[in-house]
Amino acid sequence: MRDLSKPQVMDRPRKSTQNSKAQEAGRKWVEQLEKQLEAATSQFDEALATLPVPHRRVERWKYTPVNGWWRAIGKRAQITAKQAGCEPCPIPGLDAYRLVFVNGEFDAEASDLPVYPGIVCSPLSLVPQTDQAPRGSNSLEQEDWFAALNGKFAKEGLFLRIGDGISLDRPLLVHHHSTGEGCAAFLRHDIEIGVNAEIKLIHWSTASQPSRGVVNISTKATVGSNGRFQLDKVQDEEGHIQHMAFEEIQQAQDSRVDVYTMTIRGQWVRNDASFRLDGKGAHAELNGIYLPDNTEFVDNHTTVDHRAAHCTSSEHYKGILYGKSTGVFNGKVFVRPDAQQTNAYQQNANILVSDQATMNAKPELEIYADDVKCSHGCTIGQFDEEALFYAQSRGVGVDAAKAMLVHAFIDEILDGVAVHEVRLEVNHRLAEKHQWTEWSDHLE
Amino acid sequence: MAYDGKDKVLEEVTGKAYEFGFTTEIESDKAPAGLSEDIIRLISAKKEEPDWLLQWRLEAFAVWQTMEEPDWPHLNYEKPDYQAISYYAAPKQKKQLNSLDEVDPELRRTMDKLGISMEEQKRLSGVAVDFVMDSVSVATSFKDKLAELGIIFCSMSEAVKEHPELVRRHLGTVVPTRDNFFSALNSAVFTDGSFCYIPKGVRCPMELSTYFRINESGTGQFERTLVVADEGSYVSYLEGCTAPQRDENQLHAAVVELVALDEAEIKYSTVQNWYPGDAEGKGGVYNFVTKRGICHRRSKISWTQVETGSAVTWKYPSCILKGDHSVGEFYSVAVTNNAQQADTGTKMIHLGKHTHSTIISKGISAGNSHNSYRGLVQIMPSASNARNFSQCDSLLMTDTSGAHTFPYIEVKNPTAQVEHEATTSKIGEDQLFYCLQRGIDAEQAISLIVNGYAKEVLNQLPMEFAVEAQKLLSISLEGSVG
Repeated sequence: MRDLSKPQVMDRPRKSTQNSKAQEAGRKWVEQLEKQLEAATSQFDEALATLPVPHRRVERWKYTPVNGWWRAIGKRAQITAKQAGCEPCPIPGLDAYRLVFVNGEFDAEASDLPVYPGIVCSPLSLVPQTDQAPRGSNSLEQEDWFAALNGKFAKEGLFLRIGDGISLDRPLLVHHHSTGEGCAAFLRHDIEIGVNAEIKLIHWSTASQPSRGVVNISTKATVGSNGRFQLDKVQDEEGHIQHMAFEEIQQAQDSRVDVYTMTIRGQWVRNDASFRLDGKGAHAELNGIYLPDNTEFVDNHTTVDHRAAHCTSSEHYKGILYGKSTGVFNGKVFVRPDAQQTNAYQQNANILVSDQATMNAKPELEIYADDVKCSHGCTIGQFDEEALFYAQSRGVGVDAAKAMLVHAFIDEILDGVAVHEVRLEVNHRLAEKHQWTEWSDHLE
Repeated sequence: MAYDGKDKVLEEVTGKAYEFGFTTEIESDKAPAGLSEDIIRLISAKKEEPDWLLQWRLEAFAVWQTMEEPDWPHLNYEKPDYQAISYYAAPKQKKQLNSLDEVDPELRRTMDKLGISMEEQKRLSGVAVDFVMDSVSVATSFKDKLAELGIIFCSMSEAVKEHPELVRRHLGTVVPTRDNFFSALNSAVFTDGSFCYIPKGVRCPMELSTYFRINESGTGQFERTLVVADEGSYVSYLEGCTAPQRDENQLHAAVVELVALDEAEIKYSTVQNWYPGDAEGKGGVYNFVTKRGICHRRSKISWTQVETGSAVTWKYPSCILKGDHSVGEFYSVAVTNNAQQADTGTKMIHLGKHTHSTIISKGISAGNSHNSYRGLVQIMPSASNARNFSQCDSLLMTDTSGAHTFPYIEVKNPTAQVEHEATTSKIGEDQLFYCLQRGIDAEQAISLIVNGYAKEVLNQLPMEFAVEAQKLLSISLEGSVG
């Protein structure tokens, strides 16, 4: 029996959703991880055992293929960015503080940390466990097997405290690089932003070619009253990386959070962003673009939980799917009984370019208050024939016309990216990946 | 903003006793409670069925035993004890009826109370009614008229006897026995239902209609409906329901199968007003229905439903668009009040090229009810140039009710164009204010707004039903703005 009077924000972990085969595969995989990461058994093992290891019949993982998941975990190379030939700052011309992680380990030499009164910014491993946000406290960790794995294995990450009223003068870049075979990297970002404080954060993930492994990043952020948090998340991983990112963001009164998730490259990417609007008047903005090609897989899950009155949220995800790629979008908006005057908007637009591309979308609304304005829309289609014809009739070639349309399509999202240099670099890398000679060439 | 008498109206409406709640006392022939192979053999024997059907039922029963009742819907109800239900009840009189005069006077009175007097139906409305009371058809009208055109419209048990080849060819082809828990149960124990066959190129001259009624206390109702429209034919089929008031939950697990062969068109309309239970949700009908149609080349299936009743509704009328250029439509208004729960929607499976589907779903939640739309639009790789438009809107009347949307969209073909949009809001204060300002009272204004909101769907209903549906809407909702 389920309680219908309030939303069930996560799927309940039920014994009945466990599949013994998946459970066994998961357990064996964890054993390999334990060996590589030298992690002792912890209190999480018990919690892990009660959670269903994802398989097709777990609703949250319905469209996400986990069959090929259980890749062998080998020994991970402990090298620095320099040794790996990785540029510490992947964004040309960006003036930012940075933390660099290679294969899940902090690289102090390549990093440049902000030192200011009122700001604590350090690698997580240097912070005593008692000062960290307790593990297993966020709802994703309690409900999702892979998120729970992060609670068990992650030792490293960003620890950030921004004091009240402080605004960091430059963006903070967190760069993670994967390299080598069979590497498992677990990162945990623990962020608290004070009252009236402000920060721009960039998460940039790269991987060298060839590389093979697993990246599991969990970000937990709380934003104080009237605080401002801008997060630009870029995934550009070559090789065969299975990338999972969990974000859990809690917002106090009148705070504003903007998250941009941009997936440029990635064999297998899953983003799971969960927003909790706890205080009145909070605003959450979630945007994303994904342009998978070949056999790439991109999955964006979002949850926006409206818990207080007068909050607004706006969600906009756009995707263009090439080759044999698969895209998934699952957006959930919950409006709790007390969250009157909520205004929630959700939009997902997709273009399928190739015959073999697949898109699965599941935009959901669960509304338990009456004085609300909620809407969602979802479209899946191809390039607008009329627009293509218009361009062609004016002497623009088919490819250039398509590039123009692509440009217009994704720029709607990219225009809002907080850091200009990030935007340029994303554009540049997309052009490189899809062999658009240069954006500007087509526009002239 | 306060409206005079708003709360009073709300109380009046929510406090309203179920209008059609009465019980007909007719002796009935009832099987003992419980479900086993023996019971299925008993049902089959009582209905004098051929062996293939018995085997088919037994197979379904075997499948059903391995299945679990689904718990993914957004519903909260106590699962029925399937062994406490009697699976067969038939009014005792067994002889063949030739005219209305032979019908039990008690039964006739029931029909009168329901407003479906047979004579009137015959004379005035031109609607052929296959009146189903507890599993066995007791009267069928207009049969001769239809027979002239070669149209077969009869009860399922009759069809099994008289047109076994047709039934055997199509039964279970759209909803296989192992499709889901409730369809398997239905396949094992269905007692009766309607069968309809429209021959090639025939346009059925009248709306065909069936009134269902759950009458015998403690009996489940397991209807099986099969509509086959042969090439180039057209039929409009109506299904309407009212059920007497009961204190214990009544289970209804029907299966409806539609087959639209090349260039045929089937329009299937439902007005459902089963007993929704009292204000706390006690009593009330559990409605677990599997409805599905298959469209062959250039054919069309249109589902229209107005759902106001039942304590729990689990219902997804679907279309499999198999043939090229076939069309599927789904128009729905679902109203929930008090403690009602509905998890309803549709599935549109596009297989053929140039297939089109339209989904318009309007949910209205009042009281403490929960109203969910759950739908699937699936474009398979073979479905080039498929097109889908979905719109699901929800209207919230009170702050204790819920409106939810769970659309699933799966596209595997780049030439497809799929659009989905959904909105949730309460009745506009400005709209209400506008009406009040012009001298329309709150109750009428709400009725006006709700009717306007649902118009898109109501317009799809045949005349006879549109009137009934509008009446139902106003009964369920007038003044219930919170």
